[in-house]
Amino acid sequence: MGNLKVTYTDVKGETRIFDDVEEGTSLMELAKRQGVEGIFGDCGGGCACATCHVYVDGDWFEKVGPPDDIEFAMLDMVADVMKDNSRLGCQIKMKPELDGIAITVAPSSGF
Amino acid sequence: MATQADEAKVSDRLPLTADEQQLLDKGTLTDRAIQARPRPYYTAMRKGDPIHYDAGLNSWLVTRHEDIWAVQSDPITFSVNKGYHEIQARGMHDEFRNYLRTHGGGYFPDAIMSDPPYHTRIRKLMENAFTAHRVKELEPRITQVVSDLIASVADKGHCDAVKDIAVPLTIRIIVEQLGLDQGIESKISRWSVAVTAQISAMQTREQMLENAAQIAELQNYIIGKMKEREAEPREDMISDLVHAQVTNADGTVEKLTFEEAVSLVRATLIAGNDTTATAIGNLFYVLTTKPGMAELLESIIDDDRKLNRFVEEHMRNEPPVRALSRMCVKDTVVNGTTIPEGAHMLLVYDSGNDDETVFPEPRKFDIERSNLGRHVGFGGGPHRCIGVALARMEVKVAAREIVRQLKDIKLAIPVSEISYVPTVATHTIESLPITYERR
Ligand code: HEM
Ligand code: FES
Repeated sequence: MGNLKVTYTDVKGETRIFDDVEEGTSLMELAKRQGVEGIFGDCGGGCACATCHVYVDGDWFEKVGPPDDIEFAMLDMVADVMKDNSRLGCQIKMKPELDGIAITVAPSSGF
Repeated sequence: MATQADEAKVSDRLPLTADEQQLLDKGTLTDRAIQARPRPYYTAMRKGDPIHYDAGLNSWLVTRHEDIWAVQSDPITFSVNKGYHEIQARGMHDEFRNYLRTHGGGYFPDAIMSDPPYHTRIRKLMENAFTAHRVKELEPRITQVVSDLIASVADKGHCDAVKDIAVPLTIRIIVEQLGLDQGIESKISRWSVAVTAQISAMQTREQMLENAAQIAELQNYIIGKMKEREAEPREDMISDLVHAQVTNADGTVEKLTFEEAVSLVRATLIAGNDTTATAIGNLFYVLTTKPGMAELLESIIDDDRKLNRFVEEHMRNEPPVRALSRMCVKDTVVNGTTIPEGAHMLLVYDSGNDDETVFPEPRKFDIERSNLGRHVGFGGGPHRCIGVALARMEVKVAAREIVRQLKDIKLAIPVSEISYVPTVATHTIESLPITYERR
C-alpha cells in the first residue's frame, strides 16, 4: 500500500478521498479497484477507448501536463464532453508530484 | 448510464408502415437478400420491436444503441462463453474436441471467449501487446507492407479490391505482428474459414471433420512457433503472449497457461483478419459509390485529426462486424422485452450505429460528429475489441496509401451486382472489381 492522496469526484458528483494510493497506479486502475462510478476502462489502459475520461481540477492540470497525440486522438472521439483539462485516467500514473491531485469523472459522450 | 440491465426502463415504440410491419413479421437475417442489404429490416426492428425474436435464426436481435450498450455492459447475465462455446461444432461437441486432442495437440477452449472474473484475468494478460502506443511504433512497418502491396497492383489499372488488396494486406500484417513465416498466407485464409465455420449453424459431420483437420493443422503450427519463442523471445506478439505476466496488487504474479496462450494466438490470428479486411474492402466500396467520398479523403489525407475521424466514422457508417452473440443466463427484461433463460442473442452493431437517436442523419458520412466514440462498431464494455488500435491503424494507413498511389478509382461492376459473404457475423463484400489510374 502506498501513501499518495487522490480526491476523486465521480460522475454523479460524489467525492471520495483515497490516501493510500501506490506510486505507479493509474487513475483508471484506482477508480476500477475502488468502484468509482463512471470510469469503465474498457481497453484496460491501452489509450484506445476513452472510457476513463477525467477532468483534472484546477492547477493540477499544469502538473499533469497535456495529452500526447495518441491520447488527444482518443479524447477527440468524445469531443462533445472534452474540455481544456481533459485527460484519460489510464494515462496518468500516480507519483509523488501528484500527491493530493483532484479529478472529476467526465460524463459519457452524448446521445 | 446503466451498468446492469435496468429492468424498469422502457423506451417508446414507434408506429410502423405496412411495409415495415410486413418485414418485421416475415423478415429474417438468414435471408441472403436481407443479409446483403439489411437496413430496412433494422429500421423496422428499431422502431417497432427493438429486441426482436428472429425465428429463422432462433435468436434475439438487439437493435437499439441503448439496448446494445446495456447488454454488453452486463457480461454476467449475457454470457459470451455460453454464446460461443455452446454453438461451437453444434451437436458434435465431443467428436470435435476428441479430434483436436488426438490430432491437434489438444482441445484449447477460447480463453478470451469467456466471462468475468476469468475473462478479466485473460484481458489483463493480453492487453499490453495491443496498446495504442505499442501500435503506433508499428506504423512505419505497416506503412511499408501496405505501400508495397498497393504498388504491386498500381500499374495494372484494375484489380479486385477485396481479393488483391484488402485480404492479402491484413494477412500480411498479422503475419508480421505475430511473427509467423512469410509464405503462410494462403494457409491462414483456409484456417480462418475453418475456425469461423465451427461456430456457424450448418455443418455436416464430414464438414465438421474437414474443418477440425484445418484447425488441428493451425494449432500444430502455432504450437511450434510458440515453443520457438518460449526458448528465444523476439519482438513479436507470439513472444508477448508466451511471456506475458502481470503482477497483482498483492504482489502475486499471473501468467497464461500454455493452453490459454495457444487459444489466444489462435484468436488473435482469426479475430483480426476478416474484420480488418472487411473494413478495407468497405472503404473501397464507399470511395467508389458514395458521391464526394474520394474527394473528402483526398482533402484530409495530411490532416491527422481529420483522418482519424474519417476512419472512425467509416467504422460507424459501415461496421465490418455486423453482430456478435451472447447467451442470456436467466430470464431478463431489457427495455420492456423479456429474454428467456438460455436464449441466444445477437448485438446488431450496424443497427446500433444507425440509431438516429444517437447519430442524427445516420446515413450521412460526417467526420465532425462530436460523439463518434459512442459507436459500437468495436463493441463496448468488458469485451470491447482488444485489437481496436491496430485495426484503426491498418485502415488509416490503407486510406493514406490508396490516395497516395491511386486515383480515379471506379467500380467495375454495377452496385447491384456486389455480392456479400453469406454470414450473419460480418458484412463482407466477396469481390469488388475496380479500375483506377496510378497517381
Ligand atoms: C476493423 C477491424 C475490427 C473490427 C470491426 C472488430 C470488431 C470487434 C468487436 C465488435 C468485438 C466485440 C466482441 C464482443 O463484444 O463480443 C471485438 C472483439 C475482439 N477483437 Fe476485434 N475487431 C477488429 C479488429 C481486430 C484486430 C485487428 C484484432 C487483433 C489483432 C482483434 C481482436 C479481437 C479480440 C481478441 C476480441 C475479443 C475481446 C473480448 O472478448 O474480450 N480485432 N472485435
Ligand atoms: S482505459 Fe481505454 S483509454 Fe483509458
